[in-house]
Amino acid sequence: MNVINDLLKIISDFVAGIVNSIFSFSPFLADVVTMGLAAVVLCTFAALSFMGLTYVERKVVARIQDRVGPNQAGPLGLLQPLADGIKMFTKEDTTPAAADRWVYNLAPLVIAIFALTTYAVLPFAPGVVGTNLNVGVFYIIAIGSGSIVAIIMAGWGSNNKYALLGAFRTVAQLVGYEVPMLLNVLPVVMITGSMSLTDIITQQTTLNGNPGIPFIVFFPLSALVFLISGIAETARSPFDLLEAESEIVAGFHVEYSGMKFALFFLGEYVNALAVAFVFSTFFLGGYAGPVLPPYIWLLLKAAAVFFIFMWLRGTLPRIRVDQMHNMNWKFLVPVSIVHLVVVMALMKLFVTSPAQVQANGGILVTPGVQAAILFTASLAILIGSLLIAARRARIMRLQEEAILEQRRAENIAAASA
Amino acid sequence: MTIQQVLFIVIALAVLGSAVFVVTTRNLFRAALMMIAAFFGIAGLFVLLDAGLFAVAQVLIYIGAISILVIFAVMLTRGMQGMVPRNSQATAAAVTVAIVFAVLLLLFGPLRLTIDVARWPVLSLFAANTSPRDVGGIAWTPPGQVIPPVPDTYIADFGRSLVDLNQYLLPFLLIAFLVDVVLAGAIFIARQRRPAEVAEDRQLQAEEEAEEAEAMRRAGALPGPASLPEGAVASTSDH
Repeated sequence: MNVINDLLKIISDFVAGIVNSIFSFSPFLADVVTMGLAAVVLCTFAALSFMGLTYVERKVVARIQDRVGPNQAGPLGLLQPLADGIKMFTKEDTTPAAADRWVYNLAPLVIAIFALTTYAVLPFAPGVVGTNLNVGVFYIIAIGSGSIVAIIMAGWGSNNKYALLGAFRTVAQLVGYEVPMLLNVLPVVMITGSMSLTDIITQQTTLNGNPGIPFIVFFPLSALVFLISGIAETARSPFDLLEAESEIVAGFHVEYSGMKFALFFLGEYVNALAVAFVFSTFFLGGYAGPVLPPYIWLLLKAAAVFFIFMWLRGTLPRIRVDQMHNMNWKFLVPVSIVHLVVVMALMKLFVTSPAQVQANGGILVTPGVQAAILFTASLAILIGSLLIAARRARIMRLQEEAILEQRRAENIAAASA
Repeated sequence: MTIQQVLFIVIALAVLGSAVFVVTTRNLFRAALMMIAAFFGIAGLFVLLDAGLFAVAQVLIYIGAISILVIFAVMLTRGMQGMVPRNSQATAAAVTVAIVFAVLLLLFGPLRLTIDVARWPVLSLFAANTSPRDVGGIAWTPPGQVIPPVPDTYIADFGRSLVDLNQYLLPFLLIAFLVDVVLAGAIFIARQRRPAEVAEDRQLQAEEEAEEAEAMRRAGALPGPASLPEGAVASTSDH
């Protein structure tokens, strides 16, 4: 056993061994305690990464906007998250007089719970996973839809019109973007033949444990659409319509202060980081990688994806409600469906295992050839759909200009008459 | 008692408690939230049955979609928040539902093993030539018999049963068709109409009104519109 490569596995086995020897009278109780410890570790990891990410994000966005960012608390402002935490803890915890108390107070807890439960199925290294569910992919999507409930609870419980408006926007956005997200996880699930995240990573490694072809090469379109809908699902900029400060003050969390607000903030970051982890697992090969230990590889990949999130946040303006819906229902969903059908047919036609050829027919190819075929098809659909969309946008723009021109002419005619 | 039984009792009590809250509270929004809690409990029961797929589907479909729709119906209905329901038939309804469920349970549920069909002439109407075991409903495992574990391939089996001609292909396709029709209908109702269509509709409406007025005038009930010139109708349709 390579100590550095299997560090997490060795530690978890060691702790599980201790727990098992203490609770040797009841294996069930030992299991419960081990699982409880794992849950504590995962939640602590998520909360700590939330602290780090706020600092990194502020620094990165500041650099994009030609500012310095936090630089007062500690060297390079490194203690800023700590200062923020102390500020959040000591702030007055207010409750609006007209609020629905139970719902109002439960909402931040619910959002934090839903955000943290995603981490239960993420594999961090071979054998190091909270629980290897055989419906892991489905579980992640389902838990993601739970945060909608929390946001509605916050919007309603606050008894504030801006909060309610934010909650209304949430449902339209989060429910809508679940569709392309699901449609683009499907190719990955189909080529793996399993919904377990561990199986998906195994499929992206070669038999001797070396990194194989990641699924982003098989399905570049799926990866792109999954990334976009993942950003929309976590309501990060440019999809942060539900908390648009300039339109509806701060949306659903306008009435929250102190620790409750911090929990919403935590939910947002933990969710975004979970999407980064899930994206690296689905499309970038998860913990598979050469030389470096697996958990470092996973963290590096997730950090790279999260950097894209921060980059977009610093670069793009917030999109309008109608643009957001048009993009989803008129572009992402149809393109995803076409892509799904084409990819499905190609996967049936070009198979990699001889057993499948015998059972269902098809042409036997190596994984590399299959990847090349799928990559070409996926990229062709992506470029084709973008060309069609651009053409259509130009026609619509010309029509609008023609209408404007006509109105201008009418106005001139009316003025001169 | 095994740990599973304890868990089952705890979850079942939670489900029942939140379900009772749903039907007794006067705050509709809280009722919807407690319904979500009940759905969660049912997902927990699925987990106890080793049916992870259905537990997750329960969360995704019932909590992620249906409850959200219910909450929105509550939020969008004006005056719902302050409304006090005045339904005095709650007790009668509860008794009726209890009786219906008891009968269904006796006929088709796990309790059917304890009743002798031959002794109940009414029951033999529904299940004349069947032994009590074959009536259908939930599989009943007698005490002492070991429940077979859920096979690992149950997700694939479930998926195949949906596209198998001999199993659930037809219901599956029918539901898909229904969903398509509903979606198309919703889009048709909510779509933005083109100006030309709006003008056409108004023209049709104006023509219909003119025809009606003509018919009325002929019948002698309304003398007025006869003096209306043809151009008047055309000019109303321009707006």
